[in-house]
Amino acid sequence: MSNVLKQEKLDVKYYSKRFKYYYLFLAFVFLLISGRLLFLQVIKGDQFRQFSDNNRIKKTKLFAPRGLILDRENRVLVKNQSVHSAIIIPQYAKELKKTITSISEFLDINIEDTLTKIKKNRRKNGTFRPVIIKNSLNFSELSYVRRVRRNYPGLDIQSSLVREYPLKDVSAHIFGYVGRANKSELNKAAKNNLNLQLGDSIGKNGLEKLWDETVRGSSGLSYVEVDARGRETAQKTSEFLKIHKIDAEPGKSLVLTLDKDIQEAAYKAFNRDDKIGYRRGSVVAMKANGEILAFANSPSFDPNLFSFGISNKVWNGLRNDKHKPLRNRAIQDHYPPGSTFKPLMALIALEKNIIKEYTPIKSPGLIRFGKRNYHDHNRGGHGVINVKTALEKSSNVFFYKMGISLGIDNIFNYSKLFNLGSRTGIDIPSENPGILPSREWKKKLLKEPWQPGENLNTAIGQGFTRTTLLQMVNAYNTIGQEGLLYKPFIVKAVTGHKNKTLKSFEPKLIRDIKQDPNFSISQKNFDIVKRGMKKVVHGEKGTAKWYKLKEVTMAGKTGTAQVRRFSSNQIYKKCENRPYKQRHHGWFIAFAPAENPEIAVGVIAEHSCHGSSGAAPIVRDIVDAYFKKYHPELYPIEKETEPSRKLSTL
Amino acid sequence: MRLASEERGFLKRLDMNLILVVLCLNLIGLINLYSATHGSATTVHMRLFWQQFVWLGLGWGVYFFMTLMDFNYWKKLCWLFYAANILALLAVPFIGKSFYGAKRWLDLGFFKYQPSETMKLALVLVIASLLSHKSIRHRLRLKDLIFPGLLLAIPFLLIVKQPDLGTSLLTLMIPGSLLIIVQPKKSILTSAIILAIIAGPIAWKFGLKSYQKNRVLNFLSPERDPRGTGYNSIQSKIAVGGGQIFGKGFMKGTQSQLEFIPERHSDFIFSVLSEEHGMLGSLITLVIFFALFLIGFNIAANAPNIFGSLVAAGSISLIFWHMFVNIGMVIGIMPVVGVPLPLLSYGGSSLLTTMMALGLISSVSYRRNIF
Repeated sequence: MSNVLKQEKLDVKYYSKRFKYYYLFLAFVFLLISGRLLFLQVIKGDQFRQFSDNNRIKKTKLFAPRGLILDRENRVLVKNQSVHSAIIIPQYAKELKKTITSISEFLDINIEDTLTKIKKNRRKNGTFRPVIIKNSLNFSELSYVRRVRRNYPGLDIQSSLVREYPLKDVSAHIFGYVGRANKSELNKAAKNNLNLQLGDSIGKNGLEKLWDETVRGSSGLSYVEVDARGRETAQKTSEFLKIHKIDAEPGKSLVLTLDKDIQEAAYKAFNRDDKIGYRRGSVVAMKANGEILAFANSPSFDPNLFSFGISNKVWNGLRNDKHKPLRNRAIQDHYPPGSTFKPLMALIALEKNIIKEYTPIKSPGLIRFGKRNYHDHNRGGHGVINVKTALEKSSNVFFYKMGISLGIDNIFNYSKLFNLGSRTGIDIPSENPGILPSREWKKKLLKEPWQPGENLNTAIGQGFTRTTLLQMVNAYNTIGQEGLLYKPFIVKAVTGHKNKTLKSFEPKLIRDIKQDPNFSISQKNFDIVKRGMKKVVHGEKGTAKWYKLKEVTMAGKTGTAQVRRFSSNQIYKKCENRPYKQRHHGWFIAFAPAENPEIAVGVIAEHSCHGSSGAAPIVRDIVDAYFKKYHPELYPIEKETEPSRKLSTL
Repeated sequence: MRLASEERGFLKRLDMNLILVVLCLNLIGLINLYSATHGSATTVHMRLFWQQFVWLGLGWGVYFFMTLMDFNYWKKLCWLFYAANILALLAVPFIGKSFYGAKRWLDLGFFKYQPSETMKLALVLVIASLLSHKSIRHRLRLKDLIFPGLLLAIPFLLIVKQPDLGTSLLTLMIPGSLLIIVQPKKSILTSAIILAIIAGPIAWKFGLKSYQKNRVLNFLSPERDPRGTGYNSIQSKIAVGGGQIFGKGFMKGTQSQLEFIPERHSDFIFSVLSEEHGMLGSLITLVIFFALFLIGFNIAANAPNIFGSLVAAGSISLIFWHMFVNIGMVIGIMPVVGVPLPLLSYGGSSLLTTMMALGLISSVSYRRNIF
């Protein structure tokens, strides 16, 4: 037995030489595996580490809230509203069809459309970019998605901030609106090294656009660890990630000179219960130092429509509306000033000594100059009148005569000081400079010399002259302030965290016309014209005498601007009987109190036929609202006597 | 034989190197399994860690039982073992449990038994038993290979049908390794190679299921389908590569802890180790494994008889091929197949089979000096 065993052992010894193949193969495999490990972990290690970080780290954008816009009393005019959307991240959505099918009923979404949308997005933006399947979830939808998202990998909620304009259409043109940044805006921001990313909102118009960089803030980035199904890991996000988090920097807030109460009163005043009813046009109210108190256009639009991304249908509806609700009429549209130009003519004529305060001038129903008749709005004329009466009654012939005597050069030089024909410089974008005609202007533009007859039309604001409402209100404020021309402005301060003022804007005096080296106008002449303008409201024959207030005096001027030239037999045709587009624009601009004005208010009511009935009541309402609020002492507390009086008359 | 065992003490005859190396791997396995099962996500897996202790206890019991039992008994016993395994494999399609679309398990109540695991060891034993009878010093002829080939073909086909590509190939590789010791004639080798070249494409066309073809194709180019079948391979490579030299630290492997690695406690356990302990940890583990293989082959080379030599070499090949296929799959040099990493992966069938194989080696070593 022992021999057999020995024999077998020898057999093994014989075979064991062959074991070298095993050892060789072992060595080969060992080298193979370690070589591969070297390749993966050392040579490509950084790259794979990067991959594994990308795998587990979900970058979440931290949206920076846009700054608020506040009124002069820090009341919120524009804010942010947080909205929640249901999203799908295709990368994690393993059973996409099943997920969409099961949530479609509750969220009321179309299965086919949603799937197509997700597929399209995945192709375009890759699998990690979330696709919104339902915008602005309501409360029950939100809690539904919160509840079920655990069961459906890839389904999640994305919260974002959306701009909200509580005033809606009341002040749409001041604020403008926001929308997603487009390609050119992104490129521009990139060029200027600004943090603006795809999907960010950007101001598209109004203050939102002009102050975009200040208001927008800067979005941040947070990193969250997720597992293979895209779910956030409940615990610890590592220190590394915390350190690398970029906080969102909220936008800075704007404090405006605007007064919410006056603004609302102004916008409301367009819709009156009278013969004309709803007006189209604009209103501007400013403080004596240039602070804008109210600024509204009618018709308007709701800027909230843009916050979620406006649909093409709504957008085209707004754009093609024949009444142009998107236009910021108060500064974008210019109109012939009509009779509202007359106070300037009066000032120039007085300053140039064409007339004195009481110089009587014959003002019949028409005047012939050259080969043409120039008519007064009153067929019978106004008799012999002085400058104040001419303003009160708005005589055309009186001012035709002034125009003949002064000539275009004087009219141009002095009007220029009131900033007509150039932008006021208000901090709202898209201002139109208007037109202040001169000899050079006409020659350059029309290649024709100035005709003497044009002096007459220019004198009553019907020639080539075009002004924006804001320019006229600013000019009237300058008259009220006896020559002090301020720059109108609406942003009073920029505030940061905890309402800390970062920057404030003071009223800016552009010039004092009394002190102008070449074309100064004296204090005395301002006084005369102001008294004449007061008679427009308070005089017996004043064109706006129906719209005075008991409590506050006003000085102003009506204007009825013809939108086209009419043949002589058409001139006295009743305006209301003309087609809408041919009706006159009604102007009224005033300052109050008449002697020592605090505010200037102007209204243009397009195609309302008369300055007095069309525009003056709106101005009166705004002046009333202002003084009621800021000078309640002027309004005696009325005892509730009226019911008893009524009883006694019974 | 009994005389010999009385000559020297039990402890002295035990192969301490072998035990030490296996204990090292057990320890590494437990540390790693703890990390793989105690990550962020689920508590279900934590149970597995403690179950592994039970398997380890049982495994060492099997080890010492096998050590003390004379391996020569298996010359006859192996037939019973083989038959039992064939019966179990035959039972699988009828009463087996399916997971991941494959029917590989028998539910024994207390644990799910995977007959294909023990089958590999049974094959080692029956082939060793057959070949040891031909222990003449010349090469094997074709007729010597027919019966072993038949014994191989039955379980191979049964496992292919489960389907389990990885294990079925291993059932060929492991006994095949023995052919280095008992070499067939050169003409047989040449014709086998030619046959393989011809049969390969035919098997590809008719033999493989489409998912198996995909796995092979995805192994060749995992980026083919990164969300589907290539996913495991890519995520696993990211885990290993992301570990870099020193690793991300114990329990800090993001790929493993955040469930990017599927089956991280079983088939992909090595990616957890590589990610958390880096190249350093991987190489240390690798060195220990190769130390085990060297010890195993040394025991085979110094076996008291041919049967012992074949049993030891076959058993260590079993562990070697599992390790190579598994780690190869994790590091992306082998296709993704469901093959566990011996001693490190969770799983009772695998651990018990491995410990049984090691016990057989130990048994051969225990009796190496018997003349």
